[in-house]
Amino acid sequence: MSTKRSIVFFVVVALLFASTSLFAGGRAETTGEIVLTWPSIWVGQDSKADVMEEIVAEFNEMHAGSIRVIVEPQPDYDGYEDTIRTRLAAGQAPDIFTFKLSPTTAAYYGGNLLMDFSAELAQGWGDNFNQGNLQASTIGGATKSLPYEIGFTPIWYNQDIFNEAGIDRFPETMDEFWEAADKLKAIGVVPTSQMTGGTNSWTSMLWYTHFLGSFGGPDVWERGFDDPAFEQAAAVLKRLYQDGNTTRDAIGADAGVSGGHYQAGRTAMFINGAWYIGNIRDNSPEVYRATQLAPAPKAGNYHGHQVGWLHTNLAAAHTNDPARREAVIKFMQHLTSPENARRVSLAAGSLLAVEFEIPADVELDPLQQQFIQAGNEAEFLIDHMEASMPVDVVYELGQAIGAMVLQDLSPAEFVDMLRAAQ
Amino acid sequence: MDTNTVIKDSLNETPFAIVVVANLLKWVLLIGYLSIALFPMLWLGVSSFKTNFEIETSPFALPAVWQFQNYVSAISVSGLHQFFFNSIIVAAIATSFNLLVTSMGSFVIAREKFAMRKTLFTIITAGVLIPIVSFMVPYYTLITRLGIYDTLLALIITYAAINIPISTFLISSFMTSIPKELEDSAEIDGCSFVQRYWNIIMPLSRPGLVTAGTFSFIYCWNEFIYALLLTSSRSARTVQLAIRFFTSQFRTDYAGMFAAIVLTMIPTIAVYIFFHDKIISGLTAGAVKG
Repeated sequence: MSTKRSIVFFVVVALLFASTSLFAGGRAETTGEIVLTWPSIWVGQDSKADVMEEIVAEFNEMHAGSIRVIVEPQPDYDGYEDTIRTRLAAGQAPDIFTFKLSPTTAAYYGGNLLMDFSAELAQGWGDNFNQGNLQASTIGGATKSLPYEIGFTPIWYNQDIFNEAGIDRFPETMDEFWEAADKLKAIGVVPTSQMTGGTNSWTSMLWYTHFLGSFGGPDVWERGFDDPAFEQAAAVLKRLYQDGNTTRDAIGADAGVSGGHYQAGRTAMFINGAWYIGNIRDNSPEVYRATQLAPAPKAGNYHGHQVGWLHTNLAAAHTNDPARREAVIKFMQHLTSPENARRVSLAAGSLLAVEFEIPADVELDPLQQQFIQAGNEAEFLIDHMEASMPVDVVYELGQAIGAMVLQDLSPAEFVDMLRAAQ
Repeated sequence: MDTNTVIKDSLNETPFAIVVVANLLKWVLLIGYLSIALFPMLWLGVSSFKTNFEIETSPFALPAVWQFQNYVSAISVSGLHQFFFNSIIVAAIATSFNLLVTSMGSFVIAREKFAMRKTLFTIITAGVLIPIVSFMVPYYTLITRLGIYDTLLALIITYAAINIPISTFLISSFMTSIPKELEDSAEIDGCSFVQRYWNIIMPLSRPGLVTAGTFSFIYCWNEFIYALLLTSSRSARTVQLAIRFFTSQFRTDYAGMFAAIVLTMIPTIAVYIFFHDKIISGLTAGAVKG
């Protein structure tokens, strides 16, 4: 067979095979049935994937023939955010979706893109939610997104390593902290995990926020970069990157590297949320058993606070169709019922803005129990940088840390870099 | 005395030590470059046989036990075969469609004389300079208005369009290098405009077409942003999205993901190995015109 004929043959065969696939996808809407699409990040490897699938399936079964929720899997979070931004820019919000409420994304509340849940929340549904979180999700009197998942990131430390180094409790002052760091280095353990990679320098952003809260208090973000707390916290962060207080690969490292050092017992302190429990329990059971949680040492005037923020809000597309609106509300109420919130929290270790009781006979993961306790004991919560600053500032953070450490910039110059990105 | 003899004589006069050092330097540079180029692939291949714990804690060590089951889970977790099939369909049809359109356009631009010809060529090929992310909103709007959101057709049309600038540049550059006399002879023998395109220029442009086709195929195979934006269900998604099934917002199954990446690299490497001689000749067409 000649090359030309081979190509023609291949194209014809491909087209024949493809004819059924070319138009595959989409969704069939049977008569009278309202189909709601939900591009969801809680799929694939996500710890909430299984329980969310069950909750959606139960809802679809309860409303068979009248409402159907179709989950569009969006496992890549950065790609998901791009997709949502594009859809909103095109004026086509998904029926149901989630986003991180921040000064940047608060712009979604403008115009007529999102559904306002205020009326239904006022009729009793709002009682399901933590009132502070609900208030934070209400802008200009409109609650166009529902608070759902809360991020909460205390400091994790390895008690076994602390014992080996002769440190009997987690440091409460900075003097104690640096003394503990020296003891850890003396036994060959790097004190802290840090990183400047990823889109937000996650671990270091959280360390910085902890110390920022200690210097500046709960409303430090509102006062902006002119507040001296930003420079003071930067000075602590700079020292955390020097004198062997973190690993040599911290500049440029991503979350896998930062977490990997802690899991391997190479570092003694680390910061992350409850979602990391499953990872460390599976991969490094000894470190998991030795892990304790604590607030940051007192660096300024404040102590005992934690970094906590609204991590995920639920939203829906605005619609003028009353039946469609009712369908969306029914699903949202199903998803945010105390019963389903408890299922999600227990299955995935998530902390939620929906309030629920945990029955006495339910055995909680010990580390998850510590998270709940740490949340209850926190003097106040402070949002992390990503929840408080425009996205350009967050992108700049990794560069600014790198410059401060490698080029020996002063903390003031570090803050100037962030200010310039604002 | 010809030039070659002069060069040989001058080389013979070069001290032996300098020749040895120069050769050594050449090989050190080449091996160094090869190592840098191959290291990431080697690392990826080895890591695909490790556990997640080993990848996170000892990224440069060999696996304690080679985890062949990573490849089994790579296929079973993500349903890789379905995405593979979709990618093959999208890449093959989008590339064919792109080559058909751009070869016709390039034929006119390279072989016909008309006003604003160079301006037209510049406008079309300037598309390579525009970041494709800037087209996300218009493409999304267009595809949803056409009613083909979440279909393979949406990706085929988009990919075929996105590759028009680079394909036009490569194919028209190649077509320009074909002697005009061949077409003149064909015209005297009675060839029509279409026959000149199909029977004379197209066969002679094969290296250029293969080069453009290979670039287009590799782009379609590796593309991620538009695949994520324009599709939502498994039935319409491509292999690059399957890789992301191993990640989530807070957790990544690196071992499974690396195994899936190795599997998805095979077709593009195969395409390059199969066509590399034509790609090189296509890229260097006209480079040594006397």
